[in-house]
Amino acid sequence: MRRPGIPAPSRETLLAALLIVEGAVFSVTGHGFASLDNVLGLARLACEGGLLALALAPVVLAGGIDLSLGSLLGLSSVVLGLLWRDAGWPWPWAAAGAVACGALGGLVNAVAVARLRANPLIVTLGTLSLFRGLAEALTRGVDTVTGFPAAFLSLGQGALAGGVPVQAPLLAAALAGSWLLVHRHRCGREWRAIGFSAEGALHAGVPVGRRRLQAHLLAGVAAGVAAVVQVSRVGQAKADAGTGMELLAVTAVVLGGTHLSGGQGSIAGTFLGFAVLAVLRNGLQLSDQPAELAGILTGVVLLGVLVLGARRGGQRG
Amino acid sequence: MSTDLRRARPVALVLGVLAVILAVTAPGFFSRAQLAPFLAGTAPVLVVACGMAVLMVTREVDVSVGSQFALCSVLLGLLLGEGCPPALGIPAAVAAGALLGAVNGALAAGLRLPGLVVTLGTLAIGREALRWAREGRFVQDLPPSVQWLGLGQSLGQWALALAALAVATAVSLGLQGLMAGRWVHAAGSDPAAAATVGVPVRRVTFGAFTLLGALTGLAAALNVARFTDVDPKTGAGLEMQVIAAALIGGVSIEGGRGGILGVSLGVLLLAALSPALVFLGIPPEWERVLQGAIVLASVAGGTRRAPGRPTP
Amino acid sequence: MNASEPNRSRPTAAPARILVALLALMSCAAGCKPADAPAASADGTRDKAGGPTIALMPKSKGNGYFVAAKRGAEDAASELGVKLLFDGPTEPDPARQNEIVETWITRGVDAIAVACENREAVSSSLRKARARGIKVVTYDADALPDARDFFVNQATPEGIGNALVDEAARLLGGRGRYAVITGSLTAGNMIEWQKAIERRNADRHPGLQRIALRPCDDLKDRAFAETTAILNAHPDVGLIMAICSPAVPGAAEAVKQAGKAGKVRVIGLGLPGENRRYLHEGVTDTVILWKVKDLGYLAVQAAHACLEGRLRAGATRHDGGRLGEVRVADGQILLGEPFLFTRANVDQFDF
Repeated sequence: MRRPGIPAPSRETLLAALLIVEGAVFSVTGHGFASLDNVLGLARLACEGGLLALALAPVVLAGGIDLSLGSLLGLSSVVLGLLWRDAGWPWPWAAAGAVACGALGGLVNAVAVARLRANPLIVTLGTLSLFRGLAEALTRGVDTVTGFPAAFLSLGQGALAGGVPVQAPLLAAALAGSWLLVHRHRCGREWRAIGFSAEGALHAGVPVGRRRLQAHLLAGVAAGVAAVVQVSRVGQAKADAGTGMELLAVTAVVLGGTHLSGGQGSIAGTFLGFAVLAVLRNGLQLSDQPAELAGILTGVVLLGVLVLGARRGGQRG
Repeated sequence: MSTDLRRARPVALVLGVLAVILAVTAPGFFSRAQLAPFLAGTAPVLVVACGMAVLMVTREVDVSVGSQFALCSVLLGLLLGEGCPPALGIPAAVAAGALLGAVNGALAAGLRLPGLVVTLGTLAIGREALRWAREGRFVQDLPPSVQWLGLGQSLGQWALALAALAVATAVSLGLQGLMAGRWVHAAGSDPAAAATVGVPVRRVTFGAFTLLGALTGLAAALNVARFTDVDPKTGAGLEMQVIAAALIGGVSIEGGRGGILGVSLGVLLLAALSPALVFLGIPPEWERVLQGAIVLASVAGGTRRAPGRPTP
Repeated sequence: MNASEPNRSRPTAAPARILVALLALMSCAAGCKPADAPAASADGTRDKAGGPTIALMPKSKGNGYFVAAKRGAEDAASELGVKLLFDGPTEPDPARQNEIVETWITRGVDAIAVACENREAVSSSLRKARARGIKVVTYDADALPDARDFFVNQATPEGIGNALVDEAARLLGGRGRYAVITGSLTAGNMIEWQKAIERRNADRHPGLQRIALRPCDDLKDRAFAETTAILNAHPDVGLIMAICSPAVPGAAEAVKQAGKAGKVRVIGLGLPGENRRYLHEGVTDTVILWKVKDLGYLAVQAAHACLEGRLRAGATRHDGGRLGEVRVADGQILLGEPFLFTRANVDQFDF
């Protein structure tokens, strides 16, 4: 029950508290959890998912959704691999090609939603299959591209001074950039307005179509960049890359307090939500707990946070 | 009924085209040897799709049906293996499904949380818990008398298909004829307006989740009846299949609109894709592209927002 | 849409909150001991319970095959006084395997034994583990040779492919048409087996013709549906070769329900326990596999031997504990030839 005068803790505070609790618990139960090595390692592994979650947030903020990001990552990975190996492009250009592929995918989603005037859930459900299918068709399912040059691999496997993985500054930049865009730039205000009421925003002079396009485009670009990071980290480009990552991204976004109906949410919440999930998985594993438990607890954390949020005043999406 | 037919037109068209292509190039598709197991195998999917359609009409969605299906299947398998007669086992599976659905409903409707998110959570919990428990082991060696519910294969296959058809008809009639059905439509198309005229919107949504769960349990029973062992991974991907089938069949994601005829055709179309590729000799890696293309095409073809509809 | 609610997230306070959370996490990290020196992980004293820690990873956990391997591994662990960790992706997921290996490196294990879902992908993490002094052994499906100390091989892909095709040829009398049901198009060792099958087919048994290759997504029910479609689309098919273990009973059931038991043969790579009934009923002729428990046992036993320095690079023989002496060639420890389970011998096994 809310007592007058004492504001209910926000979602971000709740998540930050949860993160601290996780940190405390796993420091005790997890072997090597509380080591710099682990924190840096987490940053390296979490970069791809984090990028997707951060890029998904504006889309959801504007009242849409994108379920195709994981498949788009897979398609972009395949494009990278084939451009480098079969078309003979130097790897920086192949990587650019992968990012361009991501952008193209985002564009397809945006245009489909706009032109077909259909719900983004349906459209991205369709593109989820379409993109994955294209990736499988291009490789006939079985082809794997490997043997990338060391310079490229250092993008995902290398470290800067002090052992900081290359992914860390990338993730930090993405975090800063998306925060600025959503919370300091007109884009963010307009996305929020569109999510709140598209018609109202239109009447208020917001370029609804353009903003939606930009949100989907950005998400697609993020998927492309994440593909480059993943291929360089694991050293191979394959059609099944990114399977299931869209669910993780959606869970992080929702956990972070962004409503699926749009209009409400924050980048901080999204990032904290993602961090809570990533640390949970990492900590449980270091505590020698089976992977299934991590899956179960992810669901429990999601439901728990939602229920607590509901108790504090009905956030119906 | 005419709106049902109209909404089902795009999917009927695509299904018709596929049928013609197959009839001309691979008529073996329509042989009894292919159709009977095909329909028997699609029956469980249809049953779940009917429940999902009702839920989607109330403007909600449940992505945990796959793990509900697996849980009920394994439960039923274990019960039958212990000697429980099907007459008790099947209602138990239905009840278990209803319970799972009710949990989703309580969280979604009761606490006013978005169904998609709630069921993401219950999906993770249900799926991982089952995996942990079974470790991939089949539930094996069910008594042979349980297969086909004792009717023998030939009769059993038709029985399963008919059972699914009966469920679809019942749900369709219920949506149109019963007051509960009208409530479902009202709650989905405009919850605020519906509440003001006395429709118990939250209870309707709760009921829809529970109904979906019960139908999933029933579908699990229909599926278990086809074999003598249960794969705990069964039902993987079921949620996407039935949601896509409902969307293709004209059910609106925004609620308020949708007919069982379209959904049934959508189920048939998506289920027929895979064997059709075998008959037409198309390499399997194209299957997903075709699925995606069909979903997008159906969206382009049919589900436009009705004019004059209040902005959601 | 719902009436507006006060926007609870206040963007201006957000960066402060993230900062607080990150600082909290960092202080946990900084306040504790720094990353363990690489040498420490090799001497087996990390775990307070005494005895080295060996981590075993399947391709995916929900798979009866790997559960059987785990049981053999547990036998070895108790025999040798080793602490066994068992974890893996719950679904076949290449990226997840990397993640788990990385976490084990952080946690500090003495040896890792992994069945690689994707050769190249997991190799990068395994190399890192070796650089930290952790012994790496692969089993069932190999990584790149420079990423592991030894590969415990139940049978080479050639051995498996040859066994399958030879058996098919035997059953079909050298001429005939067959279809292959695989797990997924992208799974590493399925691809290797397929290639080996194609090679053997072309080299030794040109009279055999593969008329279809369909994935079943590792689901028995889907394998049933695919087989049914194949039987009807290609009425002259003589044999179904199911190379993914849930597909073998699925295909057998399809053949049985189509009334073609005995007319269309069924062979595959699968667990004897799941196929016992079909073998006895004569629906399935042969199930090819190997003694999976022994594979798991040997994986842990060999890893332990590496740790103790008894098994070194260049070895040609290895004392495999309860398995007796086994051959080693080119860094591969060979369990032996594939084993053919038939109606006659299937009851001797319990997995």
